[in-house]
Amino acid sequence: MPSDKFRYQLRQEAEYWRRDGLIDATQYQQIAERYQFNTLETAARNRFTLVLIGLGSILVGLAVITFVAANWQEWPRSVKMTLLLSLFVGVNTAGFYLWRQRYTFGTERWQQRLGQGLLLLGTLVLGANLALMAQMFQVNGPSHELYLVWGLGVMAMAYSLRLTSLGVVAILLLGLGYWQAFFNWGTLELGSIWLRWFLQYMPLCIALLTVPLAYWCRSRVIFALGAIAVISAFEGNLSVLGLNYDRLIAETPWLSAIAFALPPALLWAYDDTFWAEGGQHRLSNLETHRPFHWLARSLALLFLSVLLYWLSFHGFWDGQVTYYPTTIPETFNALWANVTVLLGLTLLEWLYLARQAKGRSPRRPLELSTPVMASFIGILAGLPFLPQGGEFMPAIATFTVNVLLFLLGAGLIREGIASGQRRNFWLGMTLFVLQTLSRLFEYSTSLVFKSFVLLLCGLGVIAIGLWYERYIRTLSTHSRLSVTPNPTEGEN
Amino acid sequence: MAPTPSASRTLPSWRFWLPLVCQAALILAIPAQSLHTQLTGRTVILKTAPVDPYDLLRGYSVTLSYDISRVDTLRQLPGWSEFERQRSANSEWPATRFFYLVLEAPGVASTNPPSPWRAVRISGDRPTNLVENQVILRGQIGNNTVPDGLELQGRTSNNTVQYGLERYYIPEDQRDAINQNINTAQANQATQPIVVEVKVDAQGNAVPLSFWVTLGKASAKQTYHYQF
Repeated sequence: MPSDKFRYQLRQEAEYWRRDGLIDATQYQQIAERYQFNTLETAARNRFTLVLIGLGSILVGLAVITFVAANWQEWPRSVKMTLLLSLFVGVNTAGFYLWRQRYTFGTERWQQRLGQGLLLLGTLVLGANLALMAQMFQVNGPSHELYLVWGLGVMAMAYSLRLTSLGVVAILLLGLGYWQAFFNWGTLELGSIWLRWFLQYMPLCIALLTVPLAYWCRSRVIFALGAIAVISAFEGNLSVLGLNYDRLIAETPWLSAIAFALPPALLWAYDDTFWAEGGQHRLSNLETHRPFHWLARSLALLFLSVLLYWLSFHGFWDGQVTYYPTTIPETFNALWANVTVLLGLTLLEWLYLARQAKGRSPRRPLELSTPVMASFIGILAGLPFLPQGGEFMPAIATFTVNVLLFLLGAGLIREGIASGQRRNFWLGMTLFVLQTLSRLFEYSTSLVFKSFVLLLCGLGVIAIGLWYERYIRTLSTHSRLSVTPNPTEGEN
Repeated sequence: MAPTPSASRTLPSWRFWLPLVCQAALILAIPAQSLHTQLTGRTVILKTAPVDPYDLLRGYSVTLSYDISRVDTLRQLPGWSEFERQRSANSEWPATRFFYLVLEAPGVASTNPPSPWRAVRISGDRPTNLVENQVILRGQIGNNTVPDGLELQGRTSNNTVQYGLERYYIPEDQRDAINQNINTAQANQATQPIVVEVKVDAQGNAVPLSFWVTLGKASAKQTYHYQF
């Protein structure tokens, strides 16, 4: 379905064409019918209505819950329970049956919008039900369990109704639950065994929950959020093991190598057609669409940027080893499961990537970036294996990471210029400036020198930015059409 | 959010009702466990530990810790050393482990407020040979320090003992009165002012039911009973 923005522009253009005599009235009429120009105004109005309905339903839901809470002691428990449950069933049912109505082309009817608003409200009511039931029956549980159970409940609904909005809510709730538990992991109260198991295997569980949902809903948002959730839970579980990475480097270099290298490698080599290859029958539409391939690569670049910036500080590599314990607890069996599965997947993905690359012409510019990426990841993975102790290791590691960070910034800028992608260009620029400023404040002490560098940075950014936006951007929009499909700006 | 292709008139109703029933089951599982304990459980009276009065009332709930919530108390019980050995041999992430506390009824009954029960034994496995006036209470002990020596990195050793009885939700209108009584009672260090009534089922699960706050000395004693 074409976007409203496109249809607005098309309508404007078509009117010009008709006025200038490029098309006649019949042709204009045909275009108008094909793209449903007449629904454009109502679409905008409907969107506004949806916002109002959404806000309104949340307020109504809060009103009911507060009303129940206000009459807490006067009403018997059964009345409160009945009220809460009927609110839960009522809101969801009304939402579903309104939402289920048939679409007209180009726009949703108000019923669908109201229905979706009510289904979203239904997730809120589910959470309120869970929390209030626990209060009513004096059930003492840690708050992360509420979020996890709530998230799983919403996830079931998202799968069944194939609704992106519910999927997003579910991922956010699960993430909230995970990080709540993560920061209180030493004091997990009378927690359920199942939920602790879920937390242990969180990277795998969340991957199994979100990646199929992203395909099922065809949603880039769900894929991106899911990938972030998987990677952050993986890093979280790794760092629970060592409490922080310094210790990991000192003790088990290969584990920190995995922490650094696995996420970008996994994301970079992610290819939608990989699943089709593994399955019994080929999913032919994936061959042509590959909806999440470039998204995963963008996330890999983002992860690498953040990681390199973080590792580029001398303090990170400095001064460990002294008072760390000598044994890793032999208790994190779940960690090995997470690492093994994700590592295996990464290796398979890279094998698949290599096999694909063989069959293709090497002239495609983005195929060249994969060896570069591979060497970045390889160097990062090698760093923890440098001989420990003394000044040697921190110096070499800091220097290497800074060189990598510089190269990444430069590469992104180059890529941004070559393909006319504003996002890569500005990510590269940001890395450059951040690196320069960070090194400046980390090492130098002279204020005059600092101000000089700041001035240069500022002027440089302004000059390059203006130049880029003025010339390259306009040039590349013409050339891009003939060179390569835009990698990161796929369908929404 | 863009409409998804499946959202047509043909989407069968079960696609909605099935997850809704699952969600409802999640909601109802909460009272089910609690009701089971309340219906089948035995009443036990527990004594609270002296607590910081300012930490007691948080929002709409009272936070309590018990005598048996302190590791020092548990450490003096028979069975502790064996439990400790089991725990260190078999720790898992997160490093928590269930334990069972055997509680014994007091000799004298029917006082106001009722006399608290006494912890007589601790064990890692569920005890089977209980006498008539004993119940088991299941608790969990958490340990922040999995690898020894990590306190140096800012994580302190902090054993926490939880029974699922640490929080009471209180009605809004009773909040101020309870708060005031507890504060007054806490100021009086001579007596033990708060005892709590809980129900404990055969598996050792517990739910809180009510608590008594005692004000004043033995001669002019005033007792408040808060039921939930």
